[in-house]
Amino acid sequence: MSVMAPLIDVTLRGLLGRRRTLLLILLVGLPVLIALLIRVSGGRPDADRILDTLVVRTVMPLVALILGTAAIGSEIEDGTAVYLMIKPIPRWKIALAKGLVAAGLTAVLVVPAVVVTGVLLGSGTDAMTAIVGFSVACLVGGSAYAMAFVALSAFTSRALLLGLAYTLIWEGVLSGLLEGTKFLSIRQATLGLAGALGVDVPGDPLVPMVSVAVLVVVLVGAFLLASWKLSRFEIRGGD
Amino acid sequence: MTEPTGGRPGAALELDHVSRWYGNVVAVNDISFGLGAGVTGLLGPNGAGKSTLLHLMAGLLAPSAGRVLVDGESAWRRPEMYRHLGLVPERETIHAYLTGLEFARLNARLQGVPDADAAAARAIATVDLTEAANRPIGTYSKGMRQRAKIAGALVHDPGILLLDEPFNGMDPRQRLHMMTLLRKMATEGRTILFSSHILEEVERLADSVLVVYAGRLAAAGDFRSIRRLMTDRPHTFTVSSSDDRALASALMADPSVFGAELVAGRVAIRTADYEAFTRALPRIAKAIEATLFEVAPTDDSLESVFSYLVRR
Repeated sequence: MSVMAPLIDVTLRGLLGRRRTLLLILLVGLPVLIALLIRVSGGRPDADRILDTLVVRTVMPLVALILGTAAIGSEIEDGTAVYLMIKPIPRWKIALAKGLVAAGLTAVLVVPAVVVTGVLLGSGTDAMTAIVGFSVACLVGGSAYAMAFVALSAFTSRALLLGLAYTLIWEGVLSGLLEGTKFLSIRQATLGLAGALGVDVPGDPLVPMVSVAVLVVVLVGAFLLASWKLSRFEIRGGD
Repeated sequence: MTEPTGGRPGAALELDHVSRWYGNVVAVNDISFGLGAGVTGLLGPNGAGKSTLLHLMAGLLAPSAGRVLVDGESAWRRPEMYRHLGLVPERETIHAYLTGLEFARLNARLQGVPDADAAAARAIATVDLTEAANRPIGTYSKGMRQRAKIAGALVHDPGILLLDEPFNGMDPRQRLHMMTLLRKMATEGRTILFSSHILEEVERLADSVLVVYAGRLAAAGDFRSIRRLMTDRPHTFTVSSSDDRALASALMADPSVFGAELVAGRVAIRTADYEAFTRALPRIAKAIEATLFEVAPTDDSLESVFSYLVRR
């Protein structure tokens, strides 16, 4: 596994460019800022609702989308992926390194946002349950999103657009209207996991076992798909 | 010396009736050759299929038909072969946030080279980039980026080296240095294939040449024999003089000319013997007391040379 270290190193450095880092910090700072405003203005703090609406439904998928699609997609687009592909490395290790970095960074950014937002909005046992429940759910759900977007970007150069359509249209609109589509929603599975951990989740999320199964299938399936696609990597362009 | 031949057994690189198409567009059309140790130039105009050929050999494209073999085994989906093969892609993009030395070290670590730091420093010194080694690649000139890419490809000391337009952006001194380096590597027994659309580059460096045009292998073999083919092909000139009609008539009597006609106020001449014609023309003009105003070759572009080689 010694080759994983340089793969992770170069992926981290590639992802943490100045503009992208600033954008990500602004994104995860949004729920914290809103919680702070609620606190200062004397509004009614509702940790469950704010964490559900702002973090699980908005910030987490967007952060995972930005990181997941950039981890390998931007390298394929700009041509630097070639320098990884012409090495004696099994391609699944490249997919794994990209997935680990995207998932890890998503967790590092989103989980603290959950904790700080939760602390600002509540106190007592309920708030602690929400913080722990949403933190664990975001850790797993964010990883599933990130790996899914890594896989998507290995298949298409329009991963950012398609990922956005998935989170906004499929998960935002259709999974609320059509019962069956819930099983293909990472958001619903994340909320189901949070519910299983004692959080009072609004609506009718997936049951715990199904939520865990969906998240595991997405994580493993996306990793396998990304590995498969990278093992058939073909360079773009040239004469 | 490298001698491109069809399907040569034991060749480090071998293409066996290889084609590659994208939808309806044929980028490489039924090409076969084998390469061993030495420097081979892959010559052709832009868009001829040179990069596609190199990418097929580097395992970065699957052949639509035929087989691409590196050291006797398929190049497609075989990452292990990169232990013995280095590629310098044409695209300039390279990790801009890494320094030249970090880029070389990254390549060494990914190759699993035992002492990556030493190997990286050695490769950087080999391409004469030591002074700029600790500067981010984003600040490099085009020639420096090329050298950083070559350092990255040399870091594991590969037996086969593929270079796609490696001299782009290099100044004459860097170019000479790189040519000397590649020659030295070839004499050590490595198989080196580089692409270029510049005849002089190939002439100066390559022992042998593969000429591709419109996806086809137009010619392959020793450089001098290919050069002779290029020189001895039929040439056409247009000549403008004080008496075009008399000049056309006199030229037709010369054995070096096999066609002369008056076209748009000039004499269009076809010759099979370039040297004999260029010697005969002033002599004939002087004999009929005609003054030459202009002599212009009409088919001297590399495109027309390659096109002729394909039609031959």
